[in-house]
Amino acid sequence: MNIIVCIKQVPGTSNVKVDPITGVLIRDGVQAKMNPYDLYALETSLQLKEKTNGKVTVISMGPPAALSILKEAIYMGADEGILISDRKFGGADVLATAYTISQAINTIDDVDLILTGKQTTDGDTGQVGPETAEFLNLPHFGYVTNVEVKENKIEFISNLETKIMKANITLPCLLCIDSDINTPRLPSYKRKVKFGNCEKQIKIMSFNDMEDQDETKYGLKGSATQVEKIFQPEKTTDRLVLQGTKEQMAKDLLNVLKERKFI
Amino acid sequence: MYKSFDNFDLAYIKSIIDNERVYEKGHISSDFSHDELATLVKYPDVLIKVKNAEEISAIMKYAYEKSIPVTVRGSGTGLVGGAVPVEGGIMINTSLMNQILELDDKNFTITVEPGVLLMDLAAYVEENDLFYPPDPGEKSATIGGNISTNAGGMRAVKYGVTRDYVRSLKVVMPNGDIETFGSNVVKNSSGYSLKDLIIGSEGTLAIIVEATLKLLPLPSESISLLVPFETMQQALDAIPEILRSKTNPTAIEYMSKETILNSEKFLGKKFPDSKHDAYLLLTFDGNDINIIENDYSKVANLCLAQGAIDAYFIDTDERKKSVWSARGAFLEAIKASTDKMDECDVVVPKDLIADYIKYTHKLSKQLGVRIPSFGHAGDGNLHIYVCKDGMPEEIWQQKLKTAFKKLYQKAQEMNGLVSGEHGIGYAKKQYLKESLGENQIKIMQQIKNVFDPKNILNPGKICQ
Amino acid sequence: MALKINHNLVNEEIAKTLVDICPFKAIEYHDNKLSINAGCKNCKICVKKGPAGVIELVKEEIKTINKNEWKNIVIYADIEENKVHPVTYELIGKAKELAQVINHQVHVLAIGHNLTQTVDKILHYGVDKVFIYDHEKLEHFDVERYTNIFEDFINKNKPSSILFGATNIGRSLAPRVAARFKTGLTADCTALEMKENTDLVQIRPAFGGNIMAQIINPNHRPQFCTARYKVFNAPEKTINPTGEIINCPIEDKWLKTNVEILEIINKKKEEDISESEIIIAIGRGVKSKEDFDLVFELAELLNASIGCTRPVAEAGLLNNKHQIGLSGKTVKPKLIITLGVSGAIQFTSGMKDAECIIAVNNDPAAQIFDIAHFAVFGDIYEIVPELIKIIKEGKSNV
Repeated sequence: MNIIVCIKQVPGTSNVKVDPITGVLIRDGVQAKMNPYDLYALETSLQLKEKTNGKVTVISMGPPAALSILKEAIYMGADEGILISDRKFGGADVLATAYTISQAINTIDDVDLILTGKQTTDGDTGQVGPETAEFLNLPHFGYVTNVEVKENKIEFISNLETKIMKANITLPCLLCIDSDINTPRLPSYKRKVKFGNCEKQIKIMSFNDMEDQDETKYGLKGSATQVEKIFQPEKTTDRLVLQGTKEQMAKDLLNVLKERKFI
Repeated sequence: MYKSFDNFDLAYIKSIIDNERVYEKGHISSDFSHDELATLVKYPDVLIKVKNAEEISAIMKYAYEKSIPVTVRGSGTGLVGGAVPVEGGIMINTSLMNQILELDDKNFTITVEPGVLLMDLAAYVEENDLFYPPDPGEKSATIGGNISTNAGGMRAVKYGVTRDYVRSLKVVMPNGDIETFGSNVVKNSSGYSLKDLIIGSEGTLAIIVEATLKLLPLPSESISLLVPFETMQQALDAIPEILRSKTNPTAIEYMSKETILNSEKFLGKKFPDSKHDAYLLLTFDGNDINIIENDYSKVANLCLAQGAIDAYFIDTDERKKSVWSARGAFLEAIKASTDKMDECDVVVPKDLIADYIKYTHKLSKQLGVRIPSFGHAGDGNLHIYVCKDGMPEEIWQQKLKTAFKKLYQKAQEMNGLVSGEHGIGYAKKQYLKESLGENQIKIMQQIKNVFDPKNILNPGKICQ
Repeated sequence: MALKINHNLVNEEIAKTLVDICPFKAIEYHDNKLSINAGCKNCKICVKKGPAGVIELVKEEIKTINKNEWKNIVIYADIEENKVHPVTYELIGKAKELAQVINHQVHVLAIGHNLTQTVDKILHYGVDKVFIYDHEKLEHFDVERYTNIFEDFINKNKPSSILFGATNIGRSLAPRVAARFKTGLTADCTALEMKENTDLVQIRPAFGGNIMAQIINPNHRPQFCTARYKVFNAPEKTINPTGEIINCPIEDKWLKTNVEILEIINKKKEEDISESEIIIAIGRGVKSKEDFDLVFELAELLNASIGCTRPVAEAGLLNNKHQIGLSGKTVKPKLIITLGVSGAIQFTSGMKDAECIIAVNNDPAAQIFDIAHFAVFGDIYEIVPELIKIIKEGKSNV
């Protein structure tokens, strides 16, 4: 089984601030790491690989520094990696990102299954997976908590709002894996020694490698949305004291619950 | 003999302390009658949540005059009954004295009140790019308690223990006098080190009301390796090799599959790897990633040569969390796995740790009682638990007694000591006596008498 | 707008300044050549703060569209087994405000089976039109079929904006449809505004809520967004709805799917409290196991899970899987109500990131009040029964 796992490099912490003068994110001294949600997808793929004698290819779009998370994935057990990296891809929104990733996946033969995490910790959208599936014309399902391979299809469990759904989906398909469904394995020192810089395992794809050579579909040009501004939310740390008779306090409490839509 | 605490005494206490911070008998939460292990239970006559040194001084002056016993308690996370008021009387709780007083970034020191929690202290200094290295597993302990037991923790291999980080202590003496021992100086050859007598004295000599602690610059990089082995034997055999390798790890912890499975069950969360029988957990820190890489590679190769299955990296926050949250729950998990247990924390010369752990396995088989352990392989300090597992009480008491006797005997043979970091308190007095001999106990008693001639401060502990 | 480097102005010193100035490490200087890598986020700080003229903004021609051809705001009715997710009504409420600015109508798209009654409910929230695609094969959500239906709907009606609830269904369907129309999608909005030129201003959190981003989709239509549940207000219901129902024909070729549903199970109340949205935490103030029934009743009414402090778990009153704190679970619910919890650090370090903390304790000096958003100084044995009583009264009045 040929599995592709989409991963992203994100800042080491979500605790970032906005420069009040320039309005730009300050990420100084924040180390980058693999998006934690992707680890669950990667672990799922590695378990499937063990069961089906398959192959796992990790794919990431980002700057050259994102090579490090592809290496990390290989140390965890992935077989190959692809870094989609080109200045022309910079500034991409969900639409352009999904299109670029779908173009890259199109160059890979015999893909059976594509896995993504449920969202990233920086953008937090969770929408690149489904859009990628659309561009690849593949069925997809989200919030998947369990995956079992059957012949030419996958039996999965998905965590819907109030229900749990068990269903079959035909291969090839894309599944967005829910968080906390497994404990991702740790990167192996032995594999690090064996693969080192992973020059043989990782290849870099640029704009020229894509089938669609229309520049306006990539990066900033291919993005529909524009960020007008970013700002830091105001934190309300005020404490409200409720006291009085029990009836009064209970009434006030009910109002709080209603106001906050808990009732 | 002590004066029993009566209504007159209560009235006096209430006249000098805000009444809402004075709890009389019947209104004292059961928490204050025992510590974390809860084998020894005794309520104080009055519990006072103090706010400052002056209050403590006033209480001590009165208690001294009237000969009322006084026991000091922080978070109550001790394991040997050290903070249990075995003679009743007054309990002083320092948890409201939790202010960080001063961070001195020229001298690299921090001055704190005794009720500051270890976790708050660590977080505070880290925010300032500084580092307080002692790292006992119980992060909700107070710093006062840490000093009183000379707590060690995971980083002792490289950084030493609490004692190495205490510059000076302000204390209230049993008669109410306030003294400062030591000073914010690097070198000190000025007479007997009274400060060092207080450290590890478990609240029997004086009450710590302020501590100035040494800090280090925060290492920018920290990476851990989880190294699985097929057998505990192999894991233990690797430890002396690692110690000889001059790689200076911050921590070397060992854990068995059983301990990990217990914690998985307790937390409801899978450990990243629990397939193998035994694991070593090693941490390397510093500012130069190349040096760290060099060191961990050397150790990883060495472990592989000793038969390790692999070595896994723990480098990001979530990986650290997945491993350290389990490590932090080991004690609770073992507690939850049995109906009753007792613990000991012997320390042996670090080159003999493997032999000692093997001995506990042998003893477990011999006595037919479960003796799980985990601990600081790198510094020779072990945490050993003897579990009841539903045994009839009588048989259990007997087996526990034999087990402890043999465990301490073995430690003694290896020139080890009774406690590495939990202290002697009430529970381990007997073993201390056997281990140190009458002469040394006598010296300790004389020291106690010099500080506390009326024997009112935490009586019945350590050497008494 | 694109960035252009004027290489003739670059020297080593200027290059170094620019490399340092970029917050995303997207500017590189190798072999005497300055370049911008894929890390560029177009924050333009290199243009604004860098050495003048070295990196410039070059205007590019942008394809524009005729926004007048796209009219009305559409809400996707989030329906599961003929139950309308309340976020749908909240979105209708917001859409009515937005539509007023540009004089558009508010429409609802409902996909499912046997929808008559369901749609009737929606009409009472005062929408102008409800478009229905009703077919037995649409009974359960199927992303392929629903996307095809949506495609037909958009082609025929050309809506300006489409709002989805950020539910699991919305988060699956919205991106598929948006990608099919190669238009923008903003996920998880917490605020929406409308410009007079019909551009929808979408505000959403990123970085786990540490940053807010304001986003527009100026050159594409329709504009897609998903919005969070419980941030907008549902409108008052009207007694005599005037909205029109439009039944839309369905073509068989839209109903092809690769997903075969085997089983749908009702979810049990979250077993794992770290996943729960509402938690009621029991502390030592709740004295005996018998008193827990009171708490359980409140939990039932609020659809909350039960958590507890370490002493409660240790006393064997609750299983330790309910335990919150340092030696238990870390939770981050939308709401936590602590009852008789003193607030030891052991406990609070496991829940202090909750979005809303309501603490009830009769000791005003309890530490829990230091982190509470709502501090109720009172006896839980008085307040909890009273609260249960008035919640029940409220429910029976509806």
